[in-house]
Amino acid sequence: MILEALSIGLIVSACLALFLDEAVYSVAALAGTFLFTALIYVLNGAVFVAIFQFAVGVGTLAILFLSGEMLSDKPTKKTSPKNTVALIGTGVVLSLPAIFLSVSGSAGSGSNVSFGDALWNLRGVDVILQGLVILTLALGIAIVLYEKKNGGK
Amino acid sequence: MDFVILSLAMLAIGIYGLLIKRQLLKVFISIELIATGATLNFVTLASAMGKGLGEAFLILAFSTDTAVSAVILALLVIVSKKYGTSDISEIIKMEDEGESEAEL
Repeated sequence: MILEALSIGLIVSACLALFLDEAVYSVAALAGTFLFTALIYVLNGAVFVAIFQFAVGVGTLAILFLSGEMLSDKPTKKTSPKNTVALIGTGVVLSLPAIFLSVSGSAGSGSNVSFGDALWNLRGVDVILQGLVILTLALGIAIVLYEKKNGGK
Repeated sequence: MDFVILSLAMLAIGIYGLLIKRQLLKVFISIELIATGATLNFVTLASAMGKGLGEAFLILAFSTDTAVSAVILALLVIVSKKYGTSDISEIIKMEDEGESEAEL
């Protein structure tokens, strides 16, 4: 049940990331995509990969937040709530085949590394902290650049 | 629950965005979605194998994916600064106009 909910969330957030008009909301939806992917990895038993996915996702999002303003034109129109609901509905419909159909066999038990082992003994916590430091730095630089661009107002 | 179909759905969404969207940021997000779909498929298959080797290879794939993303983003920023817009159609139009002016 949890995996089904995560897969629906993954597809919905992917649709939102692609079709929302505002760049910031798009990047936030992409963050949701990375988060759902990491959670699916954890539930599949690939904990260390999930930690790496988290770190890589944080780095990518940091860069996207930094360059998002540069890459996006000024928004001409905002996505209406009606369109957002339609996007969510499309995402739910798109994720239904993954829930009800099957083309492969049953999944295995993963690499038998527990979450605590991956976090503490394999030092996954270092990777997570490094990602958070990079994200904090990037957000700080983005705020400084934004203030500088607006003349300190 | 089938992760192969889930990753195929991610791949389809990414390819659709790559073909339809005209903004550089959306093109980058489409590439990220395609990469996520591919890694999701790889992880679930490696998990079905039950060995850690697949995960080790996947971490290498993550590194490559990150490097590719950085290069793509740098190119997008350069193009965006050069042409002053992030719309691919306008960039192509400007490029065509520049070529025709150079021929004259």
